[in-house]
Amino acid sequence: MPDWLTAQTFVSVHVFFIMVHVILLTVAYLIYVERKAASYIQDRVGPNRVGFDFGLPWLKPLRGMLGLGQPLADGMKFLLKEDYAPDRVDKKLFTLAPMVMIVPALIGFAIIPWGGTIVLPDLDLPLIGTMEGGPIVIAGLHVNVGVIYLISVATLSVYGVTLGGWASNNKYSFLGGLRCTAQMISYEIPLGLCILAALLLVGSFLPEEIIGYQRDHGWLIFAQPLAAIIFFIALLAESNRIPFDNAEAEQELVGGYHTEYSSMRFALFFLAEYAHMITGCAFFALLFLGGYELLPFVSVFPAVAEGSILAVLGIAALKFAVFFGKVLLLVCFMILIRWSIPRLRYDQVMMMGWQAVIPISLVLVVLTSTMVYLGLGGVVPMFIANAILAVVIVALVPVLPRTRTNQRLPLYGSRFCPVTGSTVQTGPTDPLAREDRPLQGTVTA
Amino acid sequence: MAIRDEEIIPISTKPLNRLESVYLPEIFKGFGTTLRHMFTSWGQGRTSRTIQYPEERREHYHPLDGGQEISTFRGFHRLNRDEQGRVKCVACMMCPTICPANCIHIEAAESPWDDREKYPAKFEIDELRCIFCGMCEEACPVDAIELTTEYDIVGKSRQEMIFDKNKLLHMYDITIGRKPM
Repeated sequence: MPDWLTAQTFVSVHVFFIMVHVILLTVAYLIYVERKAASYIQDRVGPNRVGFDFGLPWLKPLRGMLGLGQPLADGMKFLLKEDYAPDRVDKKLFTLAPMVMIVPALIGFAIIPWGGTIVLPDLDLPLIGTMEGGPIVIAGLHVNVGVIYLISVATLSVYGVTLGGWASNNKYSFLGGLRCTAQMISYEIPLGLCILAALLLVGSFLPEEIIGYQRDHGWLIFAQPLAAIIFFIALLAESNRIPFDNAEAEQELVGGYHTEYSSMRFALFFLAEYAHMITGCAFFALLFLGGYELLPFVSVFPAVAEGSILAVLGIAALKFAVFFGKVLLLVCFMILIRWSIPRLRYDQVMMMGWQAVIPISLVLVVLTSTMVYLGLGGVVPMFIANAILAVVIVALVPVLPRTRTNQRLPLYGSRFCPVTGSTVQTGPTDPLAREDRPLQGTVTA
Repeated sequence: MAIRDEEIIPISTKPLNRLESVYLPEIFKGFGTTLRHMFTSWGQGRTSRTIQYPEERREHYHPLDGGQEISTFRGFHRLNRDEQGRVKCVACMMCPTICPANCIHIEAAESPWDDREKYPAKFEIDELRCIFCGMCEEACPVDAIELTTEYDIVGKSRQEMIFDKNKLLHMYDITIGRKPM
């Protein structure tokens, strides 16, 4: 048996392999759930025709099925469509962009400890030999950098969007890519600061220890409610969800960075968006909702599962079910947000990022570190400190200078330009068309 | 045309109060609205307005319930027959003259019957060009051309959707029960 094949590696490879497929299946059905939820919210019915009968008469009982066959049909449609790359796109980058997008989305959740720590007994494996047991973490990757890995990998996806927008040779795609870059960079700051505010209390980067802290001290959402809210907002911005989906704003940018994509390449972008949602929600559940713990202040599951292999795996499966249930609830909340809130204008996104979310999270980090230094890192003092901060924010809002972005911008040469006598020609350049359209815009005031 | 200054109506919005200007409480109120709609229309519930088309049709419902008022609906054409089963049309060329879409093509010939001089040897309506305005029906002096209430006839080619005399007469045969002359 080779040295590198420890029990941890053995389990990690299996967990990773299984989780990629679980997440891909979940993504397919998330799209269905999203369409169905959108329909019900808008008083429609949604997909309800495609079952699993494939048009065969002897499979008639499987017809309909609330449209559950829709993801399969969508996937087949994507596979069978023409994979079209427009002329004069940057072919290499155009092909690379979906890959750069999907790979971080599918490896980001590797460090999530779905099943907690278990003590594995010694195993006799065919071909390999006896494998030494011991405490292992049910996670795709057990590394001591912990959540730093997740942050660094998850934020790589901005390259996919930017490359896709750049390589498409289309100004709308390019604008979408640019917007997305600026937005993601802006919202990575509050994301990192909120993680910092949470980790200051925990004192460790390891996912297992973050959950262990929450098992002992209650979920971090009670100790850091403001950080949780800001973290969720930043997650929405990072995964390009409404109200932050400026990168693909349909009304302004056709389709944004994936305008020129079709077939499976487009599907990869689509898949990556939903995989990012799952990864982000898993991250949120890990940091603020106690991971696989079922109840906030009492521990239901043993911290380390010991015993026979069946009991150990059973506890791991239960923990996974709780964890994944939380993730699915959070994803449903994201879907609810999508169909409730209109998209922010791009300057509003930036203004909210730099004028509201970043200062608040900075104050939060300072507040948390002060509290921890004073030895007041418990749930109750932290909750009180957060409440006081929230009251201060609400009290300060009317005092702060307001930017009046809704006013008309007095551009030079426009009707609103304060320079008197300046004239601008806004008519068409074609002289024939100009005859019946006199010049506009003489400023007299 | 650019908007003139006197056409601009300034609308001042109510300033947000403190809670509104942090957005979050208002956002959660919005979630309430969304969820209410979601659960009242769940599985075609109370607020759902969908009509499951091939099984349910709009003409099955009262117009006030989102149904279709069938008596004034203008669908595909038919050519009426007289009491002896002959085509009623006298090929007076009123309908191709008035047709704004130019979709009616008639070739007149001498009538084999005694009671009229002409009859249409060829009568074709391009239903893909037709805008279903009903002017042909208005123009017809002998009530020969009429619009039926059929709206879901499809063809596999454009040629198939050019209705000739036989097809138009057949339309009369199948719709006479639903829409009397």
